[in-house]
Amino acid sequence: MGAPPFGWLRAPRAESRGASDGAGGPGGEAPRIRMKSYYDIVGDGGSRILEQVTEQRARITDGLAGVRHLVAVGSGKGGVGKSTLTLQIANVLRARGLRIAILDADFNGPSQARMAGVQGAVVVPGSRKAVLPRTRNGIGVFSMGSLIPESEALDFDSTARGESHTWRATKEFTLLAEILGAFEWGELDLLLFDLPPGAERTVQYADFLGPHASFVLVTIPSEVSRGVVARSIAALSKRSHRVLGYVENMSGYYCRDCNAIKPLFPSTRPHRGLAHPSTSLGMTLSPSKGQGGSPELHVDCLGSVPFDPELARQCDQGIPLAGGDGSPVSVALEQVAQRLLESLD
Amino acid sequence: MKFLCVPCDTPMKLQSVGPPDRGSLSVVYSCPECGYEMAMLTNAYETQVVQSLGVRIGPAEASGEATATASGCPFSAMLPASRGSGLGARDSANDPEPQGQVAAPVAVRWTAAAEARLANIPSFVRPMARTGIEQFARERGVLEVDEQILNEARDFFGM
Repeated sequence: MGAPPFGWLRAPRAESRGASDGAGGPGGEAPRIRMKSYYDIVGDGGSRILEQVTEQRARITDGLAGVRHLVAVGSGKGGVGKSTLTLQIANVLRARGLRIAILDADFNGPSQARMAGVQGAVVVPGSRKAVLPRTRNGIGVFSMGSLIPESEALDFDSTARGESHTWRATKEFTLLAEILGAFEWGELDLLLFDLPPGAERTVQYADFLGPHASFVLVTIPSEVSRGVVARSIAALSKRSHRVLGYVENMSGYYCRDCNAIKPLFPSTRPHRGLAHPSTSLGMTLSPSKGQGGSPELHVDCLGSVPFDPELARQCDQGIPLAGGDGSPVSVALEQVAQRLLESLD
Repeated sequence: MKFLCVPCDTPMKLQSVGPPDRGSLSVVYSCPECGYEMAMLTNAYETQVVQSLGVRIGPAEASGEATATASGCPFSAMLPASRGSGLGARDSANDPEPQGQVAAPVAVRWTAAAEARLANIPSFVRPMARTGIEQFARERGVLEVDEQILNEARDFFGM
């Protein structure tokens, strides 16, 4: 019989009882204890911590088995319209007959419940899991805003009050895992994750969601925003996550009175004379890439969407934007959705 | 985390988890060879970090009292402030009706099968789900929630 692998780790008990190989002693090397290492021991003695974490992941995988594409909409920057774009892209794709759901992953600032009109939605127990609430036009939406009134904040019970910076993010991801594993996602063409702001959060979600997820990043024309988004793209690229492209939101201000798009940010440059195939305004918007020191984003631009006060009003009231009206916003959203689908194929 | 009895070079087995005391757990391990016992005493932060993973701490066969998360759900204490809100977060099966409030609505019974389905959903959603379903039933003149009502509610609210 040959020597067992890692035999030096399996010293005879009599030898190990001395806890030393005899090489130590005054002035000598530190005694080397002969004993098993962490990886020699199967299981964890009964606490099943790792097993439970593995089981959580298995429940998520099982729950998302029918989801064809998983796309996270993030930015890094807050206030750029991630949630609005997520919902409006979902609306466009739903109108095309696709099966769509949104998971509002911004647990601390959930906005999808109000915008999608599911603030008072009832979660119904299904045969095995919870049934996902749906909007009037058939988009499944999970948002903490359906569970917590806007006047209240998400809170967790804790044994370590005052030290939430040490555990809160972990708990939020555990909550995300619980939601993914506990709701029926069914057969979906697209599950959109509406991510919270923060470049580091975007990366954490990327790590959590794994390589199956793709990313769309949202910016506004300001150099500050593009800089933050550039950092998010750089961080995602380091981890080989797939970035489908970015959307430039608020690329101008759409005035319905004069039916024109006006500059909203200094770097926004509507290009008159470049007729958009689907608008009658005789203009289109181009993303403000790399102008005047504005950082390049090095991923495809899926489109530019002007700010429309009417859209903002409808989002506040939970009314889906009437698509197909030929307005610049509607046309831009159609273009973004189309390019998103093309990038997924 | 694993524990090794160094003299025996044998992995130790978890024996018991003491109930939380000011956030501290007493987790007792013993060596199956020599019977030596040792206890890991966690501080509140260590307890919290493990609980944040959403796992139970304790032997698989342990009773509820011997685990760190008494309800088995790490979110059982979530949404405390929304109880009794417009969303109906109060679990009417377990909580007494608040004193001095508007008269309670007509009671709605749940069949065992419907209760079993309710138990399948996360506990932090359960109170508002219960209240919402009961309201849905009342609006239809039904005072017992059974699987048929749940299926109707599913068609009405869900995907």
